[in-house]
Amino acid sequence: MRILKLSKKDEKKLYDVLIEFGEVWAPVSKGSKYVYGKIEKKEDLIIYEKCILPIIPVKKFLMPQDFTMLNFTPSKYSIPEEDIPTTVVVGVPACAIHAVNILDKFYTTDYVDNYYMKRREKLIIVGKSGLPEENCFCHKTNTSIVEEGYDLFLFDLGDYYLVWVGSEKGDDIVRKGSDIFSEEVPKDVSKKFVEFRRKKSNCFTNDVDLEGVTDLMELNYNAPFWDEFGEKCLSCGQCTMVCPTCTCFNVIDDLALSAETGGRRRYWDSCMFKDYSLVAGHHNFRESKAERLKLWYTHKLKAFIGHFGSPSCVGCGRCIETCPVNINIVTVVEKLKS
Amino acid sequence: MKKKPTLGIYGFTGCAGCQLAILDCEDILVDLFNYVDIKVFFEAMSNNEDIANVDIALVEGSINTNKQLNELKEIRDKAGVLVAFGSCANHGCVQAMALGDGKWEERFTKVYGDAKFTVAIPREAQPIHKFVKVDAFIPGCPPSTLQMLRALTQLLHGNQPTYTNSPVCLECKFRENECLLNDGKLCLGPLTMGGCTAPCPSHNTPCIGCWGIIEEANHTSELTLLKEKGFKTEDIIRRFRIFGGSKIVEKVQRLLEVE
Repeated sequence: MRILKLSKKDEKKLYDVLIEFGEVWAPVSKGSKYVYGKIEKKEDLIIYEKCILPIIPVKKFLMPQDFTMLNFTPSKYSIPEEDIPTTVVVGVPACAIHAVNILDKFYTTDYVDNYYMKRREKLIIVGKSGLPEENCFCHKTNTSIVEEGYDLFLFDLGDYYLVWVGSEKGDDIVRKGSDIFSEEVPKDVSKKFVEFRRKKSNCFTNDVDLEGVTDLMELNYNAPFWDEFGEKCLSCGQCTMVCPTCTCFNVIDDLALSAETGGRRRYWDSCMFKDYSLVAGHHNFRESKAERLKLWYTHKLKAFIGHFGSPSCVGCGRCIETCPVNINIVTVVEKLKS
Repeated sequence: MKKKPTLGIYGFTGCAGCQLAILDCEDILVDLFNYVDIKVFFEAMSNNEDIANVDIALVEGSINTNKQLNELKEIRDKAGVLVAFGSCANHGCVQAMALGDGKWEERFTKVYGDAKFTVAIPREAQPIHKFVKVDAFIPGCPPSTLQMLRALTQLLHGNQPTYTNSPVCLECKFRENECLLNDGKLCLGPLTMGGCTAPCPSHNTPCIGCWGIIEEANHTSELTLLKEKGFKTEDIIRRFRIFGGSKIVEKVQRLLEVE
C-alpha cells in the first residue's frame, strides 16, 4: 500500500485535484449539525479535526431515499436511464467506511442489487481519521481503524496529513495530484502516528461495554425491559434513518390514471413502522413496538454476525444522539447487563 | 369506449383547500378529465347538479350544520364509493379542536349570542364518518398531489386507496433536518401522519399535526418527553388538540385521567 504526505499548506489544492474526478461532497454545517453537501468552490471544502457524523450517513450516496426502479406497461418494462455522477466524498470517518463495507456485503451477497452497484462504482471515498465525538464508541466495535473500503484515507499528524492509498482510483488521484502528494514522508512519522492514535484513544468518553452482548441478546429475549422500551418508543423511525447500516426499503407500484402505464417506486422504510411487517390478510409479524425494537437490536448485535461474520453496529453513536426518548445502544446494553 | 366513471366533489366546512389541491394537479388535470366524468365540483365548475348520482364522491369538510348533515346523507345515498377527503372530513380538523369537552353550546352562545338560525342549524363540528359509512380516507391538509392522484387512480380501478402510514419524521429525516424535539421544540412529528414531505420542520417550524394523528401515535410518551423539556401539560394537550379532532378525544381523556 502506498503511503504519502499531504502538507496542510496544500490542503486547499486538494479540491482542484478531486474535482477532476467528479462532484466533490463533504460535511457542511446545517444548524448545529452537519450534512453531506456538494462543494462548489475550494474554500468550502473543510477538513475537520474531529470526526464529523452528518445527519444522514454515506448510505445516502448509495441508495436514493426515493427513486423509480422501473417503468412498465402491461407487456413490458424498462429501467430508467440514469446519469449517475462520479461522487468524491471527503472526510468520511473510519466507522462510516466500515458501514459501507457492511452495505457492500448486504447488497452483493447472494443477489447483486444493481441499483446499489451502479452508485457504489461511482463513489470515491476519501476517508479521514478524526477525534471522536461525545457519543462515538467505535473503539468498542473495532471500527476505529479501517483497512479496506476507501480510496484515500487521511491521518492528521499536525502540519501534514498522512495519506493511505487504498484503491486504484485512489492511486489515480495521487498521480493526478503529484504536486501536492509527496512520497517524502518525514522520518518521525511512526512516532507521530502512534501519538495520534494514543490521542484519539484517550478522547473517547462513551465507555459502553459491548462484551458478551451477542449472548446477552439471546438470554434477554423475553426480558420485560423490551416492553418498557416499547412503551416509550415514539415509532418515529429516526434511528433507522440515521443508522449507517440500515437498509430497509419499501416498493410500491404507482399507476397512471389510465392504468396503462406505471412506475415501481422504492423508498427508505423503517422496521419501526407497523406497516413494515404487515403482510397479506392483515397479519403482522411484529405488532408491538417492543417486538420491533427487539428485532432491530437483534439484527444489529446478533443476527448480522450469523449472516456476515460481524455485528452491523459500527459505533457511530447516531442512535444515541438522535432518539428523542433515549432508546439507544447504550441504554439497551445497560438493560442487557443489569 | 367504456363509460367513464362519474365523480362528485363536495365541500362542507373547511378552508376549501383540499378542492383547490385537485386544481393544483395542473398538468395532470386535463388527463383527469379523460378518465372521469366530473358531475359536481362547485369550486371549479359551472352547471353543477346539486347532489348527483356518482360512482365516486369525494367529500371535503366537516359537518357543522343540520343542513350539511342532510346533504351528506343524500350524497351517501347517491354515491357508489364515498371518500373522506382531507383532514376536516377525516377527523374534524381545527374546527373540532375542542370536541368532546361538553362546552360547545357555551362557546357558541358567547360568539353568536341569541342569534336565530333558520336554514342551517349549527352543531358541533364532526368528521363525516360519525354520520355515514365512509369507504375510504385520503388524509392531508390538504392532501398532496401525489397521494391524491394515487388514491384517485386506485379508486378509478376499483382498488382501496393506500396512504402513507408513517410519521412526518420519516420525510423530515429524508430532508436531513435535525430533530426539533431534540432541539427542545414542541414538535408533533412522531404523532402525525406523513405524506406532507415535512415542509414545516424543514423550515425550522415544529410540526403542528395538521394531517391528523397516525395510527400508532404514542401521546403518552410524547407528553412525558415534552414535560421533561419544560412544557406545561395544558400547553401540550392544547397543541395535541389543535388538529387532533375526533381522533384525539379519547386519547386526551385518558392522558388527563393519568395526570
